[in-house]
Amino acid sequence: MTLIAARPGAGTPRPYRFPTVVRRDVAGGRVVAAHLPGQNLAVAVLLLDAGAGREPVGKEGLAGVLAKALEEGTAQRDATAFALAVEGLGTELVTGLDWDSFQVSVQVPVDRLSAAVELLAEAVRTPRLDPDDVRRVRDDEATALRMDWANPGPRADAVLRADLFGADNRWGRPMYGDPESVAALDAEDVTVFHSEWFIRPGTLIVAGDLDRLDLDALGAAAFAGTGGGPVDRGGPIEVPARAGRRIILLDRPGSVQSTLRLGHPSPHRAHPDHVPMTLAGTVLGGAFTSRLNHLIREVRGYTYGIRGDFASSRRFGRFAVASGVQTAVTAPALVEAVGEITRTQLTGVTEDELAVARSWRAGQLSVELQSPRAIASALTTLVVHDLPDDYHARLRESLLAADVAQVSAAAATHLRPEALTLVVEGDAALIRDELVATGLGEVTDHVR
Amino acid sequence: MPDSGYPWPIETTRLDNGLRVVVSEDRTAPAVAVNLWYDVGSRHEPDGQTGFAHLFEHLMFEGSVNVAKTEHMKLIQGSGGSLNATTNPDRTNYFETVPAEHLELALWLEADRMGGLVPALTQETLDNQRDVVKNERRQRYENVPYGDAWLRLLPLLYPPGHPYHHATIGSMADLNAADLATFQAFHTTYYAPNNAVLTVVGDATAAEVFALADRYFGAIPARADIPAAPDGRTVPATGRAAVETVTADVPAPRVYVAHRTHPFGTPGNDVATVLAAVLGSGRGSRLYQRLADGERIAQPDSVGAYGVDLAHAPAPLIVTATARPGVTAERLAAGVAEVVDELATVPVTHAELDRAKALLSTAWWRQMSTVDGRADTLGRYATQFGDPAKAAERLPAWLAVTAEQIAELAAELLGATDRVTLTYVPEEKTS
Repeated sequence: MTLIAARPGAGTPRPYRFPTVVRRDVAGGRVVAAHLPGQNLAVAVLLLDAGAGREPVGKEGLAGVLAKALEEGTAQRDATAFALAVEGLGTELVTGLDWDSFQVSVQVPVDRLSAAVELLAEAVRTPRLDPDDVRRVRDDEATALRMDWANPGPRADAVLRADLFGADNRWGRPMYGDPESVAALDAEDVTVFHSEWFIRPGTLIVAGDLDRLDLDALGAAAFAGTGGGPVDRGGPIEVPARAGRRIILLDRPGSVQSTLRLGHPSPHRAHPDHVPMTLAGTVLGGAFTSRLNHLIREVRGYTYGIRGDFASSRRFGRFAVASGVQTAVTAPALVEAVGEITRTQLTGVTEDELAVARSWRAGQLSVELQSPRAIASALTTLVVHDLPDDYHARLRESLLAADVAQVSAAAATHLRPEALTLVVEGDAALIRDELVATGLGEVTDHVR
Repeated sequence: MPDSGYPWPIETTRLDNGLRVVVSEDRTAPAVAVNLWYDVGSRHEPDGQTGFAHLFEHLMFEGSVNVAKTEHMKLIQGSGGSLNATTNPDRTNYFETVPAEHLELALWLEADRMGGLVPALTQETLDNQRDVVKNERRQRYENVPYGDAWLRLLPLLYPPGHPYHHATIGSMADLNAADLATFQAFHTTYYAPNNAVLTVVGDATAAEVFALADRYFGAIPARADIPAAPDGRTVPATGRAAVETVTADVPAPRVYVAHRTHPFGTPGNDVATVLAAVLGSGRGSRLYQRLADGERIAQPDSVGAYGVDLAHAPAPLIVTATARPGVTAERLAAGVAEVVDELATVPVTHAELDRAKALLSTAWWRQMSTVDGRADTLGRYATQFGDPAKAAERLPAWLAVTAEQIAELAAELLGATDRVTLTYVPEEKTS
């Protein structure tokens, strides 16, 4: 044999060092920065308390329309001139939305960051928001959502979310809205949302070589002309789990795969079980080697992939599993997925599995120390969730320290296989009878 | 203009068995990227075996002589790493990024599947991964609107028998017919050290990597006479436009316009790259300004143009747009064609050129901002151009492209008779 049979052990572990975090109050706002010496690229993110959770019920998609409308001209220049100015620096405004925050960012060679942040601020603070432009952007956004919703997945996600959280609540509706909610927005809704949430200073995140950046100048540019203070963000929302399991069937005639979305409510981000819960989710469904992917893909060949995890925002969370499986095996795939969730809830995790999960999660923190974009994202986590500078180092320690008893207890407490909503989007005529025959729960056809 | 797109050290060696080893040390983060380029892709597949190079890539994760089935993933993830592999017409690459203390483990795993895959390959594994790949085909190409566009464009761009004529995912019929002996032979034929480049970037020294490479890969025998793929450098012009219209369950009309330009890595491809950015990158691009903003016939998020980075034949340039409500496929196709035609007649301005180059510069540095991005780039240049240091030349070459070169390329290659147009039209709904 020409190969070396013995598997090598690990070398000397490198220390984990998160870059030095600088927090500074500037011009009425807050700058949070990380020093990346020698890095040629720099990232700036303006973080606003204007996430989807701030949208009124019935106005879903408002922040997304506003995000696009920001680039339709500013107080100083029209849309084309603005695009040429931004892209002439080699960047584009990248907007992001989640339940807790709205983000606008630029990524450029470090010597251009100051000019890029000035343009970012110009768009965010002084957009033209001409009503004709806003209505056109709204129509384009509604069309873009219709395009997206022609794919399998978005409808199933929306049906699951509504069933878990209640469609009467903002958090029971799609984060980006749906084609109808966006089409129904007025230009005035957009200007009101802007004046309410986009003039407050927010936080400027900077990741780059701070020896070549002037944080005070960046902050002054980002916060110029802003006013108003922070607004109460509300506490965690208690979401009751449903009494019994159910299947909701969405017809997608001709589908060669069935799209599966399984889920139930779970704790919010600041819950003390966050770390063991994350690890339980990793063992069950968070990695390629997890139980679900191993069984449904690697043993059965039913799918290209299946993932499950606990996800949480400041006010609520959910456990969910997502996959696409060949139509003919929809029922067995569903039965086996529910079976793995049940087994994990009842019998917990093994030391072997947990060893992989915790060193993967911990090791990823090292691997993610490379790019300015990844560091900026880590800083964003600190700000949104009010975490200290040494959070990532501490997180790493608590991941590595979690034991089988803790993680199994989190699985037992926070997995609720009997309360799952099982959404199946596929060719209903081909799969309905088999779904009924599984006995997993009452089958309801989704109609709208 | 920067002198170099790669301001980090590069050291190379070649083991006695022909394995090329490339190392680029960078101590910034405690992580190391390991990347293997095998010089085999779907261009090597004969008729009746489409999809085999990619299905084979899946088999490489299913165990080898000293690594049990599923253990590869478990060991990499269990050390904190990320891993994956991809197959395209040109090549197959395998890569992992791990905390630096696990470099040796990653090299051991890669060596074991380079030198010891065949004895571990079973019918059960093949059957399972065949099902997985068929589900990958369903998920990515069959079950999504417009998902088969790439499968349709390739045979319109390249004639039967050309190595790029068929798509890497392959056909269901060929995948169903795949037998174990063919895959055993595939590994024996192509997965040799003298057909691969090992690149390591990050928190490790060249001396350390060279010694480990020799220890783990050094005894794997070289293979003589690795068969070349069919030569595809010359694609005879047909002298007439290729047009295909698909009526399907899609939400709006969409147009793809495609042309063959120059192989990746050639000066002509650098011109095509800048041309594509002028034409289709960002809100300042010609397509956006003319079709999304100006005439407002295309959905703003839908317009784009990009060159595909294939190196062994004239590479495709793909231009696409999706119609706004009320706009017909014909109107949209005419609009796209007009903007493409004007590249030859309406000179690219300094502002357009500067904008395109600024966007390309950021894209380049973003690829260079991670150790895995750098490792894949060095592996590519070592495999396809014989020298990883040539990676440093790409960005300066883009930045040297002139407006005259863009007009010349457009006049020479983007004419209507060399054009492929693929149009999707929504089905009439009865209900």
